[in-house]
Amino acid sequence: MTSDPTPGTTRSLGQLIDRLHQLPGIGPKSAQRIAYHIAHIPDDEARALADAIVAVKDMILFCDECRNLTDASPCAICANPQRNRDQICVVEESRDLVALERTRVYRGMYHVLHGALSPLNGIGPEDIHLPQLFARLQNQDNPLQELIVATNPTLEGDATADFIHRRLADTGIRITRLALGLPVGGSLEFADETTLSRAIAGRNALE
Amino acid sequence: MTQPRTYRAVGLTLRKSPVGEADIISSLYTREHGKLDVLARGARRLTSKLMGHFEPLTLVRLSIARGRTLDTVAEAEVVNAFPDVKSDYASVARGLHVAELVDGFSASSSSNPLVLDLALQTLRVIGSQPAVGDGELSSDLPLRYFDLRILNLSGFMPELFQCVECGAELEPELHRYAAGAGGALCSDCIPDDVAVRPLSLDALKVLRLLHRTGSVDQLPNLNMPATVHAEVSALCTETVQYWLDRQLRSQAFIDATKFA
Repeated sequence: MTSDPTPGTTRSLGQLIDRLHQLPGIGPKSAQRIAYHIAHIPDDEARALADAIVAVKDMILFCDECRNLTDASPCAICANPQRNRDQICVVEESRDLVALERTRVYRGMYHVLHGALSPLNGIGPEDIHLPQLFARLQNQDNPLQELIVATNPTLEGDATADFIHRRLADTGIRITRLALGLPVGGSLEFADETTLSRAIAGRNALE
Repeated sequence: MTQPRTYRAVGLTLRKSPVGEADIISSLYTREHGKLDVLARGARRLTSKLMGHFEPLTLVRLSIARGRTLDTVAEAEVVNAFPDVKSDYASVARGLHVAELVDGFSASSSSNPLVLDLALQTLRVIGSQPAVGDGELSSDLPLRYFDLRILNLSGFMPELFQCVECGAELEPELHRYAAGAGGALCSDCIPDDVAVRPLSLDALKVLRLLHRTGSVDQLPNLNMPATVHAEVSALCTETVQYWLDRQLRSQAFIDATKFA
């Protein structure tokens, strides 16, 4: 935290700019713009924003089953009897779960890791919610039919998928990975060789 | 004379950081310009022509436009994505050990093509190894070779033939080793203020063999006891960490997942 405010600003505005600048995707100019906007909005709007931030910190907890962020455990998905409990989809972040839910195609359960294995950042299996996944699979009442690994197609996401696959290889659970290849609206000409080779490997018959 | 607005480079991506909504800052070690940080605009978008080019451990050919603070990638082409290195998490961890050391031992804009060649050769060897089973220690030997070679290329090669204190030729007996003193010590010398550890004759022989081997793909298939392997790994890691002045994150990950 800076102790001296930038010339022309006040200490409180400087503190708000510093705090906002720590948020992901907010640069110093954006932080300044948002801070000045907050300074100009009515008191009740500013308090509502502050209350919403505090409420998130007070109310949000991990779902005991899927580790998704929720305000009551089990979360709405885990508590829903209509969901297919024979499938679990493993995602890196809660926002990935939201993206998959938007498709309205998948009706199974989830497990949120809150990260991926990352050697360069010192993130190992114990630092994400992998032990909880393995414990959950051991304690399943009915044997799981399929574990869908939907980690990101990055170096870290692929390493995490490989780690899960190796750990569960002897359990008999069918482990699948989301299809990898060309995005809708993409251009073959600009695709990198890894994406193209995965697209060729995962090609489908036209039916 | 003004510099041209764009330039070309071939480099190995070492790490990437997301910035803004969909951009990436990629750190690369290039043959032409040494270590570079470049901005790849929109590279996290699914439909970006740059997507997939900046995953760590990818050899890319770039066209780069000079910028005020950061240079920006204009075009990118993957030369080698090292898919075999990325095929299992243990190989990924070993590959990232290479990237971490290249990053740690290289200064910005100071080019040493031998460092890039060493890194690429080591990645090829890592990729050619079979998928690692739990506890299969011998596959770490290329990393130990890489540790010693990058220390050598950076001017930090530990002394393995003479005592670093008195200069006496080392006799075939139990020695000691101090990364802070610069290498092996004879049994008579005890330097002040540095951490000293025992150095077995077998470990010293392995270190000398690695030092004398001309290339990582010429490494002999050593069948050594796990204790010697662990000692060599500990010595190399300690020396690298001493000169980098920090803990190696990738090595801790390799150790943590080895018996997971």
